[in-house]
Amino acid sequence: MLTYAAGLLMLTVKLALVLGVLLFVAAYLVWVERKFLARLQVRYGPNRAGIFGLLQPIADSLKMLTKEDTVPEDADRIVFLLAPAVVALTALLMFAVVPFGGTVTVWGREIPMVISDINVGLLYIFALSSLGVYGIALGGWASNSKFALLGGIRGAAQLISYELALGLSLVPVVMLAGSFSLVDIVGAQAVKGPFIYYQPLAFIIFAIAAAAESMRIPFDLPEAENELGAGFHMEYSGMRFGLFFIGEYVHVQVLGALIAVFFLGGWHGPFLPGPVWLLIKILLVSLFMIWMRGTLPRLRYDQLMAIGWKVLIPLALVNIVVTGAFVLI
Amino acid sequence: MEPILNSAPFSPWEPGIFALFAYGAWVLVIVAVLLFISSWLGEKKPSPEKGRAYESGIIPTGTARLRYPVSFYLVAIFFLIFDVEGAYIFSWAVACRQLGWAGWFQILFFIFVLIMGLVYIWRKGGLEWGPQAKS
Amino acid sequence: MTVYAILFYILAGLILITTGLAITRRNMVHTVIYLVFSFFGSAMLFYLLGAPLLAALEVIIYAGAIMILFLFIIIMMREESPETRLFVPRQWLPAAAIGLLYLALGVLLILSADPTTGEPMKLAQATPAAFGEYLFNAHWLTIEIASLLLLVALIGALHLGREGKGGDARKTEETS
Repeated sequence: MLTYAAGLLMLTVKLALVLGVLLFVAAYLVWVERKFLARLQVRYGPNRAGIFGLLQPIADSLKMLTKEDTVPEDADRIVFLLAPAVVALTALLMFAVVPFGGTVTVWGREIPMVISDINVGLLYIFALSSLGVYGIALGGWASNSKFALLGGIRGAAQLISYELALGLSLVPVVMLAGSFSLVDIVGAQAVKGPFIYYQPLAFIIFAIAAAAESMRIPFDLPEAENELGAGFHMEYSGMRFGLFFIGEYVHVQVLGALIAVFFLGGWHGPFLPGPVWLLIKILLVSLFMIWMRGTLPRLRYDQLMAIGWKVLIPLALVNIVVTGAFVLI
Repeated sequence: MEPILNSAPFSPWEPGIFALFAYGAWVLVIVAVLLFISSWLGEKKPSPEKGRAYESGIIPTGTARLRYPVSFYLVAIFFLIFDVEGAYIFSWAVACRQLGWAGWFQILFFIFVLIMGLVYIWRKGGLEWGPQAKS
Repeated sequence: MTVYAILFYILAGLILITTGLAITRRNMVHTVIYLVFSFFGSAMLFYLLGAPLLAALEVIIYAGAIMILFLFIIIMMREESPETRLFVPRQWLPAAAIGLLYLALGVLLILSADPTTGEPMKLAQATPAAFGEYLFNAHWLTIEIASLLLLVALIGALHLGREGKGGDARKTEETS
């Protein structure tokens, strides 16, 4: 009984730490993005709240918490109110299967540095990301606004198209590791070396599809400012808008973590402890995505669909067959 | 984690389904707390102007539930079909070493048929968008 | 009653309630949302029975792909909550008859069952790798046939969708 209570306590501490880091990094990723983007465009970016604008995320969250939460008339109230929560929930839940270190020993018990090592971890992530589509589509539908509906439909079609490319590009990773568990995939890379050496094509497909899944420039058609205002979150204000925001930045982190886990060796790295390495890799991927945002123009919708269906999916399928032959030789 | 019944599924020490549900509960609580605080602190001054859908300052006319092109429906149905095929490919991938060359040839045929389908809808213009799409 | 049995009844209740709500809603978008919850419950049930791969695929394909397709179709049609009854008696009468028959058969099966044979079902535990191995060793021909079937579905969907594109809007509704 005592060991059970101790285990519960450890679990609670671990979960609180993981969530705290996730939300903290999400908040500061916004700051990093604004600062980095500003420098790319020869501006200063946030510099009033605190030194270098470092208090800006805190100011922003306080502001969002105290703003009025408006619901448009004729909106489908309950769906409208729940849609942003779906986006934030699915993004946060995805991190549950990402391993962020080996094990640490506390009170003579080994504590694994992963929340949940289910043996279908990779499919769990796909399941959640396919549920995340509802947040976008229903948020846009429930707002009873033309711009929002257009954004929601665009977003849903984009997400499902790129989910296919995302899924198929990971089949070679599963074949090399022989498991769906993210812990096993990282373990296999500790032995064989990072999978990016074996699967550069899969890495490129996954990175492009991941950028499209995060719905940021150059793939931000669902919220294209100069066409749709703000797209699917047009009518949202206050903390509900904030939840879409949290969802987006946590999603960027999770995608960074997934790129690290599937292709860059996960938490393994010299000298520094596992969680630090994972965080460094996540931040590098996020910085790359911000850099892309500052550099590339937005795609047209037909180009977006053409890249997904006519380039990424056929390449991923051919890659599967070729990798299969290599694995068996 | 192995399927339930093996290795104490309710143990908080194991990284199993219990930990996953605990994490899920935490996440739910955080989102709920955020929404509660915002509804507690936030202003509440509704007005007809705030409730109106934003259309760049113009009063909205007609229904907002637009009907949109069939192409979106086509994408959804193509996605469904490819998703089902993806499920087969994933079940093969995880066991590809054990299945050997026989399995490889089976999946080769499977993917060949899949690519034929993709080529067909491509040639017939099912993947075309915009006004120049052939009908 | 073990913990698993309790979990089973909770999940079964959840599935029944959400499915019931889904078929009684007038607003079809709400129907889709309840059905997503129902499929989610079925997925948990699969996990409880020791088949995590099927649980994941249930969410990905049913809740993630099929329900998205339904949502698209519903948003594509103008009326989300029709005032009049959706189906004419010619359509729902046969459906109701088959449903009742199914219910009667189920009740008969339960009543006629020998109580001594009521042993708990063996868990269908399988790791994903074992499942894949079994699937491709024992049923590979079925899979190839399924791929051809899906090819036919792809072609059919394309032509049905195309038909409405140039024509008037009502035709689109019929094909969807």
